[in-house]
Amino acid sequence: MTKAPTALSRSQKEGGLLDGEEFPEARPFDLLDVPVLDRLLGWRHARTLLQIPLLAVSIVMIVQGLFGPTLSPKNLATVLTWVHFRGALVLAILCAGNLFCLACPFMLVRNGMRRWVRPRFAWPRRLRNKWIPAALFVLVLFCYELFGLWSSPWLTAWVIVGYFAAALIVDGLFTHATFCKYVCPIGQFNFIASTASPLEVAVREPEVCDSCGTKDCILGRRSASSQLVVLQRGCELALFQPAKVGNMDCTFCLDCVHACPHDNVGILSRLPAGELMSDPPRSGIGRFSRRNDIAALAVVFCFGALMNAFGMVSPVYAVEGWLERMLHVNNQATALGILFTVVIVIEPVLLLGLASWITRAWAGVKSGWLAIAVRYAYALSPLGFGMWLAHYGFHFLTGLYTIVPVTQNAFASIGWPILGEPRWTLVGLPITVVEPIEFGFLLLGLTGSLLVAWRLAQDDSEQHPLRAFAPWGVLCLVLFACCAWLMTQPMDMRATMMAG
Amino acid sequence: MNGSRCRRRRAKAAAHAIALLLLAIATGAVCACRRSADPAQGISVEESIAPQPVRSGDETVTLRLADAARHPVAEAHVQIEADMNHPGMAPLFSNAVETTPGSYRTPLTFTMGGDWVVLAHITLADGRRIERQWDVKGVESR
Repeated sequence: MTKAPTALSRSQKEGGLLDGEEFPEARPFDLLDVPVLDRLLGWRHARTLLQIPLLAVSIVMIVQGLFGPTLSPKNLATVLTWVHFRGALVLAILCAGNLFCLACPFMLVRNGMRRWVRPRFAWPRRLRNKWIPAALFVLVLFCYELFGLWSSPWLTAWVIVGYFAAALIVDGLFTHATFCKYVCPIGQFNFIASTASPLEVAVREPEVCDSCGTKDCILGRRSASSQLVVLQRGCELALFQPAKVGNMDCTFCLDCVHACPHDNVGILSRLPAGELMSDPPRSGIGRFSRRNDIAALAVVFCFGALMNAFGMVSPVYAVEGWLERMLHVNNQATALGILFTVVIVIEPVLLLGLASWITRAWAGVKSGWLAIAVRYAYALSPLGFGMWLAHYGFHFLTGLYTIVPVTQNAFASIGWPILGEPRWTLVGLPITVVEPIEFGFLLLGLTGSLLVAWRLAQDDSEQHPLRAFAPWGVLCLVLFACCAWLMTQPMDMRATMMAG
Repeated sequence: MNGSRCRRRRAKAAAHAIALLLLAIATGAVCACRRSADPAQGISVEESIAPQPVRSGDETVTLRLADAARHPVAEAHVQIEADMNHPGMAPLFSNAVETTPGSYRTPLTFTMGGDWVVLAHITLADGRRIERQWDVKGVESR
């Protein structure tokens, strides 16, 4: 088995700025060429090796959440979930790719279950889209605000247990990676965010695939003696490597890497967000422009970032109070529900609808307003990712060292103080250092969104690209201004249900 | 035939194992909810915070300690800790000073608005330790 030479992957050729003919020498960086990493990630059980520590941490979090300190800043469940896990996840996506899905502990338990339980059903055809996970994503954000999940170790532990249970039930009943592709809200978040990642699991040399007759990357490898014995799984998310474009729906599980008999699948560098700049047919997905559900997910991802940050600053309580007085409701769930509906549904429909209408009327783009809105909706995801990065990065960096005293306390509380007395004064980086980083993330997101919108506009209107771009550029700037305003607001974190 | 029966038996066993795991977690969670409160040790602790409404910035926390006969408990060491309800935030620490017998006071600077939890770590003159915790909800941002 010889390793195929690294060249431009299909998605890099189709993805936008790079042109294989103009830059024949361009060889993307391949993570699997890095010494040590190549052997580690090339090992068949690499994923399991990465999943085991996360499963162990998850169990500790569940136990601490249920039986540990009730105070959120002193409990491993809340500190790890809402400070470290979220921050590390977005930073990993920014710096590399969808590494959380790679090391997902839910899938380790699910794989264990599938040794005994064979799923018998196929996920219903009507549900093979992103509408359910998009709705679940909004539901998670809503529950996070309503129940103040960050302030409750007990609820946080149950969220983790719920995730394990959902993965087991869904994948216990339905074949392939149904939970990852059609249910998991964290997975969808990662899929959309990782469109802006610098790494992608991709074919090294497309010509090698042309001569491949086995298609092991999607079909997997089975025993010669019995077709029922799977030696190596192929892609469970229906991504056929030669036709795969970008990171959407890719869990970085490396099944295709291990299945390819030609060692022709690598983890290649690419232009972040480049996959959003064009609209080729994508294996397992189709064209982005024809996927209203994925566009809706991208919109929810972007506006959800605003809503999630808005829930943590002072003005949200003024708005909620105003809504309660206006509508004569004495129920925070109702006020919060209205706020969510306005920010995540009505506002995007109005803003994207208006931008589409202007693009259509002013730049002479022939498509209908919905088609234009769907096409450009993906341009918002880099900005949304910038906002998630700024928000989660803030908590991660300002609370970076809090894991130390909380772990010390956890050991001390079980009568085994091997790490010493908790040093509660250990917190994290000062806000004066973190704030510029936050704005850097936002600017990075804005730049990505503007570039994507510009490339799409160039394709849509050769005569008036600026006219096609202008409404989307303005929309991005408006959203950026909202993000920047949110970041300058005083933080005010209340557990709304607990506040009563 | 044997294979499918074996698979069914395995599936049943796996389902039982999962159900047992969930049951164990649920039982543990219920037990966790019923943790008994720290006994008062015959000492009453009355806390107050001023000025009201509580805003981010300087506030003063006052604790009054009394024994079962309502006599002031003097010469205690009182450390006040305030935590944000969100993890990852810096806790505040301050040592209270006894202003009159049994009355302990300390300034506390709330660094941000939101829900706070204040803890009093009290060490009595005879070495006994008392922990008290109360919520300061809805601290307003300035």
